[in-house]
Amino acid sequence: MPTTFRIKRFNPESESPQPYFQEYELETEQSDTVLDALIKIRESVDDSLTLRCSCRGAICGSCGMRINGHAALACKTKVVSLESPDGTVQVEPMNNMPVIKDLVTDMDGFWDKIRQVQPWLQPAGPKPEAEYIASPESMNHLTGVMGCIMCGACVSDCAALEVDHQFIGPAALAKAYRFVADPRDGASPSRLLALNTPGGMWDCTRCMECIEVCPKEVGAMDRIMDLRAKGIDQGMPSTCGSRHAEVFADLIEHKGRLDEPLLAMRTFGLKNIGQMLSFLPMTLRALVRGKLPRSGPLHRAIPGIDRIRRLFRHTRNLP
Amino acid sequence: MTTAYTFDILVLGAGLAGMRAALAAHEGGAKVAILTKVHPVRSHSNAAQGGINAALTDRGDTWEDHAFDTVKGSDFLGDQDAIEILAEEAGQDILALEHMGVIFNRNDEGRLGTRRFGGQKRARTFFVSDFTGQAILHVLYEQILKANLPVFEEWFATSVVRDNDGRCAGVVAFEIRSGQFAFVKAKAVIIAAGGLGRVFEPSTNAMICTGDGMAIAYRAGAPLMDMEMVQYHPTTLKGKGLLITEAARGEGAYLINGDGERFMEQYAPNMMELASRDVVSRAEQIEINEGRGINGCVLLDCRNLGKRLIQERLGQIFEEAKTFANIDLTEEPIPIRPGMHYNMGGIKTDVDGRCWDIQGKWEGVTGLFAAGETACLSLHGGNRLGANSLLDTVVFGRRAGACAAAYAQSVEEPRVSDSVSDKGQKMVQEFLKRKANTDTVAAIRLDLGTTMNKHLGVFRDLEGMEAAQAHLPALRDRWSRVAIQDKGQVFNTSLVQGLELSMMLDCAETIVLGALTRTESRGAHFRTDYIQRDDESWLKHILVYHNSKGLPRMDYLPVRITQWEPQVRVY
Amino acid sequence: MKYAFFPGCVSKGGCPELYQSVMQVYPQLGIELEEMATASCTGAGVLQEKDLRLGDILNAHTLALAEQQGLPIMTICSTCQGVMSQANHRFTSNPEYLAEINTVLAEEGLTYRGTTRVKHFVWILIEDVGEQKIRQSVKHPLTGLRAAPFYGCYLQRPSEALGFDETPARAKSLETVIDLLGAEVVDFPGKTRCCGLPLLTINQPNSLKMVAHHTSDAKEYGADLMVTPCPLCHLNLDGLQSKAAKQNGMEIDLPILHLPQLLGLAMGMDPKALGLNRNLVSTGSVLDKIGVSQLLSKRS
Repeated sequence: MPTTFRIKRFNPESESPQPYFQEYELETEQSDTVLDALIKIRESVDDSLTLRCSCRGAICGSCGMRINGHAALACKTKVVSLESPDGTVQVEPMNNMPVIKDLVTDMDGFWDKIRQVQPWLQPAGPKPEAEYIASPESMNHLTGVMGCIMCGACVSDCAALEVDHQFIGPAALAKAYRFVADPRDGASPSRLLALNTPGGMWDCTRCMECIEVCPKEVGAMDRIMDLRAKGIDQGMPSTCGSRHAEVFADLIEHKGRLDEPLLAMRTFGLKNIGQMLSFLPMTLRALVRGKLPRSGPLHRAIPGIDRIRRLFRHTRNLP
Repeated sequence: MTTAYTFDILVLGAGLAGMRAALAAHEGGAKVAILTKVHPVRSHSNAAQGGINAALTDRGDTWEDHAFDTVKGSDFLGDQDAIEILAEEAGQDILALEHMGVIFNRNDEGRLGTRRFGGQKRARTFFVSDFTGQAILHVLYEQILKANLPVFEEWFATSVVRDNDGRCAGVVAFEIRSGQFAFVKAKAVIIAAGGLGRVFEPSTNAMICTGDGMAIAYRAGAPLMDMEMVQYHPTTLKGKGLLITEAARGEGAYLINGDGERFMEQYAPNMMELASRDVVSRAEQIEINEGRGINGCVLLDCRNLGKRLIQERLGQIFEEAKTFANIDLTEEPIPIRPGMHYNMGGIKTDVDGRCWDIQGKWEGVTGLFAAGETACLSLHGGNRLGANSLLDTVVFGRRAGACAAAYAQSVEEPRVSDSVSDKGQKMVQEFLKRKANTDTVAAIRLDLGTTMNKHLGVFRDLEGMEAAQAHLPALRDRWSRVAIQDKGQVFNTSLVQGLELSMMLDCAETIVLGALTRTESRGAHFRTDYIQRDDESWLKHILVYHNSKGLPRMDYLPVRITQWEPQVRVY
Repeated sequence: MKYAFFPGCVSKGGCPELYQSVMQVYPQLGIELEEMATASCTGAGVLQEKDLRLGDILNAHTLALAEQQGLPIMTICSTCQGVMSQANHRFTSNPEYLAEINTVLAEEGLTYRGTTRVKHFVWILIEDVGEQKIRQSVKHPLTGLRAAPFYGCYLQRPSEALGFDETPARAKSLETVIDLLGAEVVDFPGKTRCCGLPLLTINQPNSLKMVAHHTSDAKEYGADLMVTPCPLCHLNLDGLQSKAAKQNGMEIDLPILHLPQLLGLAMGMDPKALGLNRNLVSTGSVLDKIGVSQLLSKRS
């Protein structure tokens, strides 16, 4: 059965450059990837269909695009694996970056953000005569992030970037982690400090889109969480983000469950009283509707809280 | 409109060799820029999986052993002075990469760990899981960012420019994104534009590997050498021909035929699966040809390696097998076959990357340098050892960059009119104006690729090669008339592919010519009509010079032997 | 069909109407529940920002309690579900890690063998309760009502931990249920995106942009309401919708229902018993559309 490919096209040199969808019908084979299909279209139907591609084996990172609404590498996506009720495969350029032509996006902004994290090793002391000594585990662990091929899929589907282009984004943060977690790098404190700012590591909304779409299992968001944990560990100046995590843990230790009003108050703190007050209208409405959560002494700990507290203590004693 | 940029040194290509050269030239005090048709991290160095060789003396290895393995691997066609430099300087370059930040695998003491690779008696291959090329490529790009070197990203070079004295003066190129041409003037140009894999179909090579660097140097007057030496990798996937790393065998995987036999016992009783690539590929092809294969393949069996090792050290091919062959490597052997992988030949250079000879024994282009797969020293001779190509790029990339920096300080600015780029612009405009016919660039390319694979593959003979040679003019003729539908200026990939095809046709011509000329079997060049190695007549390199008016001109250079006389080659 | 019930903090805090409505509907579906009173909060992915292993230990504790009871866990919150699924996935795919976690549980005389299944209510509906039983329980089909599903990130990603490979129907579970209730599914681009709640205290404007974006989008696609299986999404989409609308210069007023609230309406239950009066964006338009307001006024 032929598959219909619904491809978003854009020709900046046309008289009125507007994106539009064009459909192509194509017989595909069991083994065909979306890239194979696009190349067949380009070679046998319409050579003006424009995309980047090179290695065909998910290592060069050229063919990032959105397939049925999610970013992916065309070369790693089998046509038969795509579930689509009407038998069409929709192909669009990546999101969160400008389109140059058809499926080709402008990645200059992507690279500017990578540059922002000073993506090169900044060793602490003088170079050793031979290699740096490093544990096999530490280097094995880094292969996870070093496997990033900079295809842009995570950035394309990032929900935080969608609403705020100032956010540094998942790819750059994963790249930063690659150095922060490198035992040879001496600049971790300053790297973390630089990311502890608006638009930095706390602006991730933890939606996991980047984890889901990554073709190389880099797990950018998990790396962002690792950065946050390391930042808290190193005693970075607190932010609403870090206080939120710390207070959250603290409340669970004391009550076994959340005390939402207390969480908000302690997260904002006195410095951000204005922001907290901005929630007043909502709070009042909740009060009227009888759904203002109990707090403080009125909000009891769960039965069996003693055991939860002991679990916290045992965990602290772990290596 | 004429645009011009001026640098001391322009590096063409941003793979390992190009970026290493640019860094060395920068350290040498030169004003250097890189021009590349894809973003640096998209370069094909990415695809190198298994590792990078070096004999580290503090590990009890010696560079002489590494050099000898390389000489033997080359079937004694490699130039031994160059091989000695490669082996001797390997250690310092591995450490330099480590210091830059490459996350090489560590042993239990936290020092660099090694794995075994083909054609070598010792484990001296340093690696990052099975994506060593990518891991190094990204680190070199980090260093480019650190040095803040200008990079012309997604620019396509159409020609090397020479001034009135014949010296290299820069390149003409256009920005793919805008279609605008420019003359990038430079006292020295380092070509590090990679290989020509796409001349063959299938190939392990990326779609960008179209021999552009070789072709424009060749057209500018630099000779190509050892072009007949084309490596078929023993383990590639059926279909698109994707690579399965030699590291699988290095870690202990077996090859078996359709009858379940470890057939390498018959061909290389000592080294078995880790004999050199030409030997293993031929063995597989014989098994397949004699009916002991399965659907045109033999099997690579990784099951004995265990899940954990596969996950930690062969993760990429695990994914690859799952995605592209629907096979779980830990549970099932995977069908593989020999596939075109690498060209040992390229632009003739000396050991400092110079494409001209100060001793005057061969001609070339003064001010032009080359490094990496584009270049031919000759280091790999008739057959390259696995994990020597990454080493080649960093050692000779560095040397070319350093030498080019010194050279640039010693010469005047080239004097060439900026309008030299107008010619390139005109050529492209004429190409775009062609009237449509039924032929396509893709069809011609496919015809070329299958012809080359059929006649210039693992086994060659006079009849087949002559058929290929006879077919090339027809393909050229078709190229001269073919038209593309996309007439735009912005990101016209059809235009780029059209130009690449003309480059590939030039490369193909030199491969066929070299192969027909070499009437012996040596390394990857195996002729069923001349099955013996013939040191008497052929311990020499074939050089091919471009001739715009007719057949290319041929010349020869003797193999440079320092300490290892040719001997019978068994594994 | 008996489950260890893990209600989660928010159904007993900021969204009491969720707890209230689920208590109304579950007996109609042949479900039995035993509430896990001594289980702690999952950490909601927030505690995990500080210390992932600590979060895993807390969840291993919860999973071990259910294992002792011999019951699968039922959650009513996408976030609780996702966080526990992820922890469980780490345990079952890495026995060494589970052993490390068990050394801590051992101090409390507990151990977790990795056998507990954790299921969100919406998965239980399609996998355990089944189409027939749901159809039978519908007394007041929601014909003509256009409902936009909003899953919450944790019920969609990472798909591996959520078991989508083995049970692909989970990815569309909410649509399936909406359909069974007689309502019309409004498919819109935001249905699997982020509600913005995790950013609320960190970057309020960004968080509210997400709220405004998704609710207005759903409305533009013709939705009468949005339905969510996640009380955290509800906090943002419902609680902060008017603030988000103001910030972005829009008028939205899209009712946001908890899944059991929608289910209860289809079962013909009293809106007040389902806590619909507690939703901050008025749900009156929904009741009007399905004719429940008229019924109520007749009754009174």
